[in-house]
Amino acid sequence: MDRRRMFELRRTVACLLLVSTYGLVCRNALGAAEGDSISIGALKQLSIEELMNLDVTSVSKQPEPYGQAPAAIQVITQHEIRRSGASSIPEALRLADNLDVAQQNSHDWAISARGFNTAFGNKLLVMIDGRTVYSPLFSGVFWNVQDYLLEDIDRIEVISGSGGTLWGANAVNGVINISSKSAKDTQGLYLETGGGEPELKSFAGVRYGGMLAPDIFFRAYGKYFDRGNEVYAAGKDASDTWNMRQGGFRIDSYGSPGNVLTVQGDLYGSDLNVAAGGSGNTAGGNLLGRWSHVISGDSNTSLQLYYDRTRLVDPITNQFGAAKILTDDLDTYDLDFQHHIRLNERNRIAWGLGYRFTHDVVEQALNLAFLPPTLDRNLYSGFVQDEIMLIKNLFFTLGTKLEHNDYTGFEWEPSGRLQLNLAADQMLWSAVSRAVRTPSRIDSDTREPNASTPILEGNSGFRSETLIAYELGYRARLGSTASASLSTFYNDYTKVRSVNFTPGTIAPLYFANDLAGDTYGAELSADYQVLERWRLHGGYNLLKENIHVKPGGYDYSNALNETEDPQQQFFLRSFFDLPLNFELDGALRWIDKLIANNNGLPATVPSYVELDIHLGWHPIPKLELALVGQNLLHNHHPEYGVPIAIPNREEIQRSVYGKITYGW
Amino acid sequence: MRERQSSDQFARLALLLATLISLIVSGLANSTAAASPEYQVKAVFLFNFAQFVEWPPQSFEDAAAPFVIGVLGTDPFGAALEGAVRGETLNGRSFVIERYRSVTEIRHCQILFISRSEAAHIEEISASLAGHGILTVSDAEDSAQRGLMIRFVAESNRIRLRINVEAAKAAGLSISSKLLRPAELVTSTD
Repeated sequence: MDRRRMFELRRTVACLLLVSTYGLVCRNALGAAEGDSISIGALKQLSIEELMNLDVTSVSKQPEPYGQAPAAIQVITQHEIRRSGASSIPEALRLADNLDVAQQNSHDWAISARGFNTAFGNKLLVMIDGRTVYSPLFSGVFWNVQDYLLEDIDRIEVISGSGGTLWGANAVNGVINISSKSAKDTQGLYLETGGGEPELKSFAGVRYGGMLAPDIFFRAYGKYFDRGNEVYAAGKDASDTWNMRQGGFRIDSYGSPGNVLTVQGDLYGSDLNVAAGGSGNTAGGNLLGRWSHVISGDSNTSLQLYYDRTRLVDPITNQFGAAKILTDDLDTYDLDFQHHIRLNERNRIAWGLGYRFTHDVVEQALNLAFLPPTLDRNLYSGFVQDEIMLIKNLFFTLGTKLEHNDYTGFEWEPSGRLQLNLAADQMLWSAVSRAVRTPSRIDSDTREPNASTPILEGNSGFRSETLIAYELGYRARLGSTASASLSTFYNDYTKVRSVNFTPGTIAPLYFANDLAGDTYGAELSADYQVLERWRLHGGYNLLKENIHVKPGGYDYSNALNETEDPQQQFFLRSFFDLPLNFELDGALRWIDKLIANNNGLPATVPSYVELDIHLGWHPIPKLELALVGQNLLHNHHPEYGVPIAIPNREEIQRSVYGKITYGW
Repeated sequence: MRERQSSDQFARLALLLATLISLIVSGLANSTAAASPEYQVKAVFLFNFAQFVEWPPQSFEDAAAPFVIGVLGTDPFGAALEGAVRGETLNGRSFVIERYRSVTEIRHCQILFISRSEAAHIEEISASLAGHGILTVSDAEDSAQRGLMIRFVAESNRIRLRINVEAAKAAGLSISSKLLRPAELVTSTD
């Protein structure tokens, strides 16, 4: 009996220590190596129930339950992605209560955490297997070139709140980490195909995984989809079809103890039509290598190198109307090194260095250019963080990132984080952090080359937007069947992007930093295993924004352009295992109204309720037949944008598709 | 000008490829067996079972004898089992990992993991171990229904436990409710 108590006590302490090694300190995509004594030691601290709930494919990357990380983190598992019927990464992100996901048309989304969600949202950092996928054109994400075989995604971690200390500029309001499974866990053949109406017309995917040598595993995959049009408010076709092809591979080598080597890459291409007329296309690819090395039980390193190429051929519309073609070719080279070390019983240090080089070539459209057309940028960064055990159950993490970018020079992003473990399954945490959103090409380089009087121009004097964030959160496991988490925040922003005018002539308008203000809110989510076969999940999200023009400043958009956010969101999801190997799952969401910027005047996207349903059947274990209905409650509804715009605002239709899946 | 730029890019790309290739090659060079995450977790389960099961005194050679976790057949654990028990003791007993090619090699053993390589012989193995006070564990198909006491079941990347309580009772073992509660209970089908 004493023995068991001692085990539990030791477990609590070790869980705390683990957080420092693997939790916030460790970028999960670059986590500790497999096959080492650390992960076994970590696993031993888990209860039987926790071991049973552990996704064994993710063990190596994150041996501790994510519930231990002192931040507003939510994890979308592969199981949830499959059960939700999501057919793309943005759809899967609707499973995170701490995000706002608004679909604009068949191929564009606005996604953000804690506000500032616009089509050119720039305060969320997104990474796929450790590769940053934001575009330096606008510091945001082109969601229509971020895809993967969803079956091979292990999990998606969504952190709302500032992550600048670890992840740097642009991790202002949140961080999304998308992790694919190790090649070892995707062995064998997997096939999927299906189709529906009116959105997802047809799709297919295939993956094969095998062994190259003992302990060296690979997989290769290919997929395509063809998506139909969305509609305008009156129901008229918006001619915005989209199709995409993607393929890739991943190799994981566990050859020598304490070393994991990963090499992976993807290639894609797509064709898309835009509602205003005209067609565009995208093409790109990436190649990434990562070496995780365990020096000793107290010390491990990771080294990562990648190359990423994107080509966008985009019909541009602006206030002049008609679509003209803008081409952007971006090459990114990125090198990242990290070292995690336990100095002694009380101190765990993480530090790292990074370098990124981008080479961007923009071929101007008639009405839009980025000058200079060719721009090389260097980004140097370093971070250091110490997690200190103050007393038993109380941890203080102090760290900072220091970056040097070619726009604003040096930027500091320090943070302090306090974690108090009230019991083995209850945690109170708090954090204060500074984050910056550094300038992008849109802020600095935008020009209208062929206009006799340019209306809007970039400003080479544009400065970084800054945030001081205060957070307080609580997370608890309530018995063996329920868990809940509450995260609250107060964010204080300065130097937020505004649009100023040229004295005398008014035009050209130009970007400046005249907005400031604060936001506050709360994110509540709860899980309840009602029956062994039935799980319920609920989420509620509150966001209040007070962004205004600073005294003596000016904004042509009347402080409406940077925020298009619902004040409240409510989510209810149910996962039900029926007899005879049927599964019935539903996701209901209520999204509050949005206030959009219509040339300085407020425009509204009405609040809405929508429902997705997934019905799955496994007649034999290797085969799944699924029927998915999305946005079932309305013929079509708008999620984003200004009703009268050029082109007109699109609405998202009710859609249905069927899917056949064969494989492990 | 453009040409020079693109040759610069090729040079960068070539350097990157060379680095990646050397990483892979250095990985190939020193290849030894390491357990997959799945078997790391299973190794930790096996270690935990020692905390949640009570053995009759006669299942040990003497009061000072070590606690033995055995693996019968092809060993999928690599060094994970050794890692799981390193430095551990239970009621004064240290842990020892033993590996057997056949049942006849087993002398004193408290937990026996029966590898999938023995799946065809589970009934025989189960019969020849009866009454020895050994907790039998396997991840082979239907092993719990075929007379073994605990089966690891893979379910959407998670490891579930299926426990045959009757089989354990018959061997004089008592399994704690802490282990039984999260598990699925089955009986032998003969």
